[in-house]
Amino acid sequence: MTEQISALADDEIALKDAEHLIAAMQTNGHAAEVWGRYHLIGDVMRGTATLSPGFKQNLMHKIELEPTVLAPNAGWMNQAQTHQQSAEITSKTPVTWSIAASFAAVMVVGWMLLQTQVTDTMAPVVVAQAVVTKQAPALPIEAEQAIPDDYLMAHRASAPTASSYYIQSASYSE
Amino acid sequence: MKRFVLACLLVGVTLSAQAANDEDGWQILQKAAVAARALSYQGIFVCQSGQNTKSVQIKHYFDGQNEFGHNVVLDGSPREVLSQGGDLVIYNQKNEKIVIEKRRGQNMFPAILPTNLDLVKASYSVRTGDTERVANREALILFLEPKDNLRYSYRFWIDKEYGLILKSVMFNGRNQMMDSIAFNQLNLLNTVDLDWFKPRIDSKKSYVMEDEVPTKADNNVSPHWTLKELPAGYRKVDQMIRMVHGKSFPVTHVIFSDGLASVSLFIEPIAKGVKPRSGNSVVGNTSFYSSVAGYLQITALGEVPEATVAQIANAVVFIK
Repeated sequence: MTEQISALADDEIALKDAEHLIAAMQTNGHAAEVWGRYHLIGDVMRGTATLSPGFKQNLMHKIELEPTVLAPNAGWMNQAQTHQQSAEITSKTPVTWSIAASFAAVMVVGWMLLQTQVTDTMAPVVVAQAVVTKQAPALPIEAEQAIPDDYLMAHRASAPTASSYYIQSASYSE
Repeated sequence: MKRFVLACLLVGVTLSAQAANDEDGWQILQKAAVAARALSYQGIFVCQSGQNTKSVQIKHYFDGQNEFGHNVVLDGSPREVLSQGGDLVIYNQKNEKIVIEKRRGQNMFPAILPTNLDLVKASYSVRTGDTERVANREALILFLEPKDNLRYSYRFWIDKEYGLILKSVMFNGRNQMMDSIAFNQLNLLNTVDLDWFKPRIDSKKSYVMEDEVPTKADNNVSPHWTLKELPAGYRKVDQMIRMVHGKSFPVTHVIFSDGLASVSLFIEPIAKGVKPRSGNSVVGNTSFYSSVAGYLQITALGEVPEATVAQIANAVVFIK
């Protein structure tokens, strides 16, 4: 079976003759793994690596830099809701009211759009900040003074001083 | 001219006397390192660190090939340390249970000096002092002083007859005592049996093995960080991957030593949603420094001055 999969990966078996192999790979985890591995070996031997070195690291880095902007979505959702509400109002009220309501709705929508635009113009600022501080993680750095006990215990377990065999740190439960 | 020659001669004589003094000092320390391992002895020593004081009863036996040690803490919560060579088993009372811990031992008093003093010689100078009585024995005082401000100084009282360290005190740069261990009773052990080499079992207590913290040696070069210049005299002596309590992923733990003092360096990626930490402090004899390098949280601590932990933490370079 694995030989046949190897042959298929190397185009030595015609696709129409390999239906049983494809079925096997769909149902059998091992066969699928073999198929994947032969392709990997082939790629490496041909030197056709599909990903650049450090691909994962670069990708994670870029994801980290992406700002999380929730405002536009929220804006569009509000806008949709306003349309729905105004439709409900027109079905129940006289024409003049409906005109007034439509006007109000337009106002609301316009205001919403204005808000959205404001948020949009804010977005590049956020991006710029993210670019400037690309080395620093997203959260602010917390100041600490006390020695974290878990690290102190790890230090004393692996690099003990002559007295640490007998005297434990204060928080060690006796 | 005559006077000049005389002066030169005098200086020469003083210098060589100084060199001889240094050489003597190192020889005495070398002998102390060997004596602590190759003699059989028993006694009681008192160990003091910060506000804590504990008396410890020690029995050490060397049969010509192997070392056996049994140390019993006499104050506070019962604790016993059994050692055979570098392997330690600690019986430690926690609540109603006796927790059995396994460790690698290296610098148990009085064997606090390494048998190879080359690394120590590079960073400290030695000077002999007066004679003093410790544990009813005559002792010679030796000053081990750092050549820079990256480590603390030590004072040793060496038994004139046995060559053992009777007392060891560590001082910081302001000459404040940080840590001290001293015999108040010591005898050579005249026995060949090993009846005593067993823990004092209390049949009413339950004995459990400690939840072993998984660690494994790490010889891989990390793609995420590298170390630039270390503080003078410090060498990397160990590197491992370990679980630290409260962390869901393993942490790299690197240990540095100048032959006497040790510093632990912990390197870990900053998990999403976890606040990076930065700070420094000195608590008792331990200095601590934490910082951020790129996406890495760096934590360094050890029984050394603040400058040393800071330099070691800052030696970590994040690879983009």
